[in-house]
Amino acid sequence: MLTRTLAWVLAATFPSSGDLPGLDSLDVRPSLRQLQREAAPVFALGLYGSTVAFLLCPLLTVGWPLPAFLLPRRVLDRHAHAMAGHRFYLVRQAMLMIKTVGAALWGAHPAVRSQLGLAAYEPDPGTFRGDHVVPQTPRSAPQPAEIQP
Amino acid sequence: MTATARPGAHLAYREGSPLALEADYIVVGSGSGGSPAALVLARAGYSVALLEAGPWRDADDYPATMLGVMRDLFPNWGATVAVGNSILPIVQAQLVGGGTVINSAIMVRTPGDVVASWASDHGLGDVLNPGNMGPALDRIESELHVADSLEDTGAARFGGSNQRLLDGLRAGGLSAHPTRRNVRGCQGQSRCLQGCRLGAKQSSNIGWIPEVLSLGGTVLSCAPVQRVQIVDGRAVGVQGRFRHPQTRRAGARFIVRARRGVLLAASATGTAPLLQRSGVRSPALGRFWRAHPGAGIIGVYPDVIDMYEGVTQGTASIHHRGEHGLKLESLALPLELVAGRTSGGGKQLTARLGDIRHQAMWISAVRAEAVGTVRQGRLGGVRVAYEPTRRDLERLRLGSALLARTHFAQGASRVRPGVVGLPFEIGPDEVHLLEQAPLHNRAWTWVLSHLFGGAVLGADPNTSVVAPDLHVRGVRDLHVVDASALPTTLGVNPQHTIMAVAWIIADRLANDDRTRTKSASKRD
Repeated sequence: MLTRTLAWVLAATFPSSGDLPGLDSLDVRPSLRQLQREAAPVFALGLYGSTVAFLLCPLLTVGWPLPAFLLPRRVLDRHAHAMAGHRFYLVRQAMLMIKTVGAALWGAHPAVRSQLGLAAYEPDPGTFRGDHVVPQTPRSAPQPAEIQP
Repeated sequence: MTATARPGAHLAYREGSPLALEADYIVVGSGSGGSPAALVLARAGYSVALLEAGPWRDADDYPATMLGVMRDLFPNWGATVAVGNSILPIVQAQLVGGGTVINSAIMVRTPGDVVASWASDHGLGDVLNPGNMGPALDRIESELHVADSLEDTGAARFGGSNQRLLDGLRAGGLSAHPTRRNVRGCQGQSRCLQGCRLGAKQSSNIGWIPEVLSLGGTVLSCAPVQRVQIVDGRAVGVQGRFRHPQTRRAGARFIVRARRGVLLAASATGTAPLLQRSGVRSPALGRFWRAHPGAGIIGVYPDVIDMYEGVTQGTASIHHRGEHGLKLESLALPLELVAGRTSGGGKQLTARLGDIRHQAMWISAVRAEAVGTVRQGRLGGVRVAYEPTRRDLERLRLGSALLARTHFAQGASRVRPGVVGLPFEIGPDEVHLLEQAPLHNRAWTWVLSHLFGGAVLGADPNTSVVAPDLHVRGVRDLHVVDASALPTTLGVNPQHTIMAVAWIIADRLANDDRTRTKSASKRD
């Protein structure tokens, strides 16, 4: 449910436009689920809070006293646009958080990059170095007694 | 029961028995301050334990996407912010090599006026003077292969955005230059922020830290230090608990004993809170926190620019550094970040990114006069309070307008200021709108990337945490060797300066130690 809501809000923020595919036509749910699983708590909190703000703000942005998911498509698009430039700073900040995540999914998607003429990204390995013992090499560095004061 | 580590080992996340080890010196943090300090001490023959809160990622481990960057390279997924009357994102890295892995490899020698002010205003003339800064900067340049980015990369790979800024500023009568960077064979892929998968960037995890290991040093990664152990007024070690870099699960505890001293280089957001957690008291602790806030201006050109084909930050100008505290640079931010920063939402936002290959982003960074604080937060994180001043905003606005004019002079058809209250795009005859843009932090998309202070060096105990003889006041054998010790901003990229300061301090410690040991043996 949470993933679906989040995906819907992100798709409303980065919908298809002309030839450019948007998050409404791309399946980013696997990436989104991974993000939800791995994101730092403070980051996740910001994202969920911003999602709630997106859903509840149409009255402030387009004057419709309805949650965003009940807005007609055209009005929803106006709402998404208006949130980004709203006079209330916290509304803009909520949208910035959504845009940051939406942009990270949209801009990395191979279909988007291909349409824009940009090289596709390689997968993120998510790996790191484990324990490792370095064989000792003969010392070439000066010993303490050799250092000049 | 405790496990012990052999010298020359890298120890990553682990669970189970606590780990105990001992070294002559402990260095906390492996970025531009910690890595040279560890190297100098290891080369001097001391055993060194280098501790890093993040994991060790080699070039093959680096992410490609911004989501991967946030997860794998940034602390807290990039959620560290400075809060004042606006929320300013702080760009930092948390992995072995620290910021040297994700920065654009720019190396700028410490400006003479900065060294002079450190001597005259902060009493640091004996430690950080031209006589010892010069050789340290030279040595680092030579070790890290610092070269002119245009020469290193070649004109074909320098990049259209970089070239246009260079040409534009020079045509406008301003001094500008290709950046000098610590790279070897850069291919101009504009992927510095993701870490250089080609290994061209000479970040400290490439050369210096492996050398520390080969000299018998021990590196602990995934090892955030919780506190410095202080006994009878002397730093005797550090303690903490391994943390898994992805699951954030707490692992085994570790205790590292220091025979000779502890050097802190946990960053300008990490060192002061660590001192606070360790019980260090100073009226200056956490204060005098400074930054170079910056914001970008995007020019849209009729022809293809392809800013992602070229050096990430190939051109810089400090022409207005003295008078206006301005630093102007080109910057190829990944598409994902440009998309997040482009104003609007919905179909308009997506459509606005369709011309990404025609865009060139240049940034204006300010040597801000604002001063903030950094403190340990109640919930375990850090709290940074910081608010650029009106004068800082005036400078930013001036730099942005200058860059907008330069874009137009170079043939841009439109400029996207990214300022709330201004049109999404302005034309060549509308730069005056940018010159009159609102002077409020909330209107601008600032980012903080160069951070300073929190545990500054100086002669006055009321305004400094670290005395000119390099120890943390009130604690023997505890030192600070990162940007948090710098008492002022620089107005240029700080990496080279931080390295040089750490180098000098570590070198002095090594020599002082040797002298002490010699005197003691004479007495015996």
